[in-house]
Amino acid sequence: METRDRAQHAPPGPGETIPVPPDFPVTWRTAAAENLFWQRDRMHFPDPLPPLVTTLFIDEVFSQAFGYAADAHALPISLAACAQNGYFYQTAIPKGHSPEEMEELGAKAQEALGSAMGRQLERWNTETLPEVREHIAAWDRMDLAAASPSQLRAYLDETVERTLRLWQLHFLTVIPGFPSVSIFEDMCRDLFADDPEFVPHQLIQGIPTKITEMGLALWGLSRQAREMPSVRQILEEEAAADVIPALVRTEEGREFLADFHGYLAKFGQRGDSALCVAEVTWIEDPTPAIKMLKDYVGQDDRDLQAEAEALATEREAAIALARTRLEGFPEQVRGQFEYLLDAAQQGIYLAEEHNYHIDFCGMYRVRVVTRELGQRLVEAGTIEDAEDVYFLTLDELRAALDTFGESDLRAAVTARREEHARQRAMQPPPVLGAMPPGPPPDDPLSLAFMKFFGGPPQISEEPNTVQGTAGSPGVVRGTARVLRSLADADRLQRGDIIVAETTAVPWTPHFATAAGIVTDTGGTLSHSAVTAREYGIPAVVGATIATAVIRDGQMIEVDGFTGLVRILDAV
Amino acid sequence: MTSTIDQMVLWLDEPGSIDVALVGGKAANLSVLAGRFPVPPGFTVTTPALAGGMNERGSRLSPDLRDAISRAYAALGAGLGSAQPPVAVRSSGVDEDAGDAAFAGQFETLLNISGPEAVCEAVEACWASARSERVAAYRRTHGGGDGAVAVLVQSLVPADSAAVAFSVNPVTGDRGVVAVNANYGLGESIVAGTVTPDSYLVRKSDLTPVDVRIGSKQRMTVRTAGGTREVGVPALLRSVAVLDDRQLAEVARLAIDLEAAMWRPVDIECAYAGGILYLLQCRPVTTLG
Repeated sequence: METRDRAQHAPPGPGETIPVPPDFPVTWRTAAAENLFWQRDRMHFPDPLPPLVTTLFIDEVFSQAFGYAADAHALPISLAACAQNGYFYQTAIPKGHSPEEMEELGAKAQEALGSAMGRQLERWNTETLPEVREHIAAWDRMDLAAASPSQLRAYLDETVERTLRLWQLHFLTVIPGFPSVSIFEDMCRDLFADDPEFVPHQLIQGIPTKITEMGLALWGLSRQAREMPSVRQILEEEAAADVIPALVRTEEGREFLADFHGYLAKFGQRGDSALCVAEVTWIEDPTPAIKMLKDYVGQDDRDLQAEAEALATEREAAIALARTRLEGFPEQVRGQFEYLLDAAQQGIYLAEEHNYHIDFCGMYRVRVVTRELGQRLVEAGTIEDAEDVYFLTLDELRAALDTFGESDLRAAVTARREEHARQRAMQPPPVLGAMPPGPPPDDPLSLAFMKFFGGPPQISEEPNTVQGTAGSPGVVRGTARVLRSLADADRLQRGDIIVAETTAVPWTPHFATAAGIVTDTGGTLSHSAVTAREYGIPAVVGATIATAVIRDGQMIEVDGFTGLVRILDAV
Repeated sequence: MTSTIDQMVLWLDEPGSIDVALVGGKAANLSVLAGRFPVPPGFTVTTPALAGGMNERGSRLSPDLRDAISRAYAALGAGLGSAQPPVAVRSSGVDEDAGDAAFAGQFETLLNISGPEAVCEAVEACWASARSERVAAYRRTHGGGDGAVAVLVQSLVPADSAAVAFSVNPVTGDRGVVAVNANYGLGESIVAGTVTPDSYLVRKSDLTPVDVRIGSKQRMTVRTAGGTREVGVPALLRSVAVLDDRQLAEVARLAIDLEAAMWRPVDIECAYAGGILYLLQCRPVTTLG
C-alpha cells in the first residue's frame, strides 16, 4: 500500500507525461502540444482570463508577437501560449533540432543581444515609442459612437492588427532588457566577489520612469491635499465613493478635482492586473485612486519624492565607487563594465517604461473599442451588459457584428460567466503536458529570464518559514496582508506586509503604504522586486507557497537579504 | 676609482648599463634593447652600490644610496610627467638570464610602487629576497655564480593585457611559429602559472594565427593602491580572446625582431597599455632540447 502510494506520487521523469488533476480538465488543440512542457505564468496572470482575452490575446497575438521579436533578436527559442480553463500557460519551443545546433544558435543570439543591449534606448526613443504613439493616435481617431456596425467590424479587425503590432513592439523591447540587467549583475558579482557590501542593483536604481511617476504623482496630489484644509477633511472623513461628490461642493475641492482628473487622464489608463482589457480602469471608476489618496493623506512623516532622489544620489555614489575600484583593472574590463552598466540602466528603465505606453495606454484603447462594441451589442439585444462582451470569443464577436442585431448570445454569456466563476475556484497546476527531456538550460539568456519569472520552488528547512528569493534588501516585521487581488488592497494599513501571488505593475502605488513585500512568483528582476527596491522596502519574491501558508493577520518577518519569511505567531 | 663604480644608479639607455657585472643580466638585456625596442624607462641600482651601500646589518640602504635612488626616481617622474610614477622594482642577478639558467620568478618583484620612500623600501626588499635561503638553494642546484644582485626600477606599464611569447614553439621546437600566451591585466598571472591563459601560435612568415586556444583565464592581476592583486575575470571576458589578430601579429613581430637582435630564440614578456605594446623582459630560450 505504502509503496504504491509512493509510486503514484513520484514526480514524472524526463519526457514523461505530467498527471493532470481530476478537477482541472485540459484540452489540447494538437497532439503535439500535449508533449510539450507548459509552465503557468502566475506572475502576469494569477486569475483566469475571460474568453475574449484568451481568444484575442493568447490565440491571435501572443505566440505570433513573441515569435516575431524572437526572430528579430535571433533568439534560439520561441514561446507558445495556451489557455487552460482560462489560466495562462506558456512553453518554450527550441528552434534547433539538436543540442549542437541549439548551442550554435545560442551563441548567435548572445552576439545579437550583446549589440542590441547597448541600443535599447535609442531604438525605443527613435523607433518603438513613436510607432506606439501612432497606433494610439489611430485608435483615438476612430469615431466609435458614429460608426455603423460594418465600420465597427472593420475597427475590430484593425484593433486586432494593432494589438498584435503593439505586442511585437513589447517583446522587441523587453527581450534585450532582462539579459542586459542580468549579465551586468553577474559581471559585478565576478568583479566584486570579495566585497559583500557591493550591491549591483544600487548602480541601476532610482531611474525615474512613467511607472514611478504614476506613484509619485499620486503622492504629490496627497501632499497638495494636505495643504487644502477642506480637501484634506473630505479625504479623511468621507467614504471613498462619496469623496468626489463632496469635492464638487467646494471651490477648493473643484480645484483639487481638476488636478485629480489631470492625473487620471495620464495615469488612469490601467486596471488591476497586467492586462487591463477586460477590467474597469481608473478612468472609468477612480475609487481605487481615491482610496490610495485617503491612505496617503494620513502619512505625514515621509517625503517620497526626496526618497526617490536619495536613491539616485546613492546610485551615482555607488557608480563612482565602482569606477574607483576598477581603476587598476584592464581597459577591456572597464570598457565592458561601462557598456553593461549603460545597457542595464537602459534595460531596467525600459522594463518599467514600456508598461505605461504599451500595457497601459495601448491596451486601454483595446478596452475602449471592445467596450464600445459591447455597448452596441447591448443595444442590438445580443448581450445584456457591455462587460458581457468579454465573455464572447473573438469569432463570436466578429459574427455578432456581421449579423448585427440578429444573434442572441445572452444564454451563452450566462453559461460562460458561471464557467468563469468555477475556473476562479480551481487550483491550476504549475506545469502541464510532458516533462522536458533534459535538464533546464543554463545559458545566460535562460538565466536572465529565470531572474524575471523566478526559478524552481525552494524548500525551507526551518519550520514556520517560507523560502523565496531575496528581492529587495532589508529586514522588517509586520502584519501579513494576504491580498487575493488589488481590489482587496483596501485592507492594507501602513506598516503591513503585502503577501500576494504577484504584484503587477498597477500595484505600484501601494508600495508606499506597505512595509514589505512577499510574492509567490517572480525573480530578482520581476516588477515586484524592482519596485520594492525603488521604494526602499524589503521584499522576498518567488516564495511559491507564501499565500497558501501565511494567514492574513499573522505577524511575519521578511528578510530581504536571505529570501526567508518567518511566521512569528500562529493566529 | 672608475667612473662606472662611482655611479650608484645607471639608466637603461646609458651605455654603461649593458655591463652584466654592474646591473645584472635582466637589466643588461633590457639595456641592450632599450634604444631599439619599446622598453619602459628605468634605472638600475648597481651591484657595487648595493654591496657597499647597505648598512652593517645588510638590511637598510645608506643615506647616500637612498638619496641617489630618490633623485633617480624624481628624474624618472620628470621624464614621464608624473611626480610619483608607479614603478616595478625587480632584482636583476648577475647570474640570471645568462642563456643557460633562467631564474624566472625566483627573485622578488614588487609592482605598482609609488613614491621615493616606497621605492627605497622595495629596493631593500628585493635585495633581501635575492639573498634569501630559497634563492641560494636554487643557485646551488643550478650551479650559479657568486650571486651579486642589482635592482631594476622601471616605469610600471599599466597593462590592459600581457603576453609571454617564445620565438620558437617551446614544445615542438618549431622555429616557424611564435608561441604566445596572454591574459588580461599584468603579466604576473601568466608567469606565476595561476591561470590557463589564451595560447596562440602565430606563423612567422605572414604573422597569421594558425592555432588559437581560448584559455579559461579565471584570474587576472590588477593594480591596487600601492601594489597588485589577483581577482576573478568576469565570465563574459573569459570566453573572449585577449589579443586580436592585429595585436597578435604585433607581438609576434616583436618576438621575431628580438630573436634577430639576440641571434637566438627568445622568450619575451610584453604588455599592452592604452593600445601601445611595451617590452618588459627578453631572455634567450634556455629549455630547447
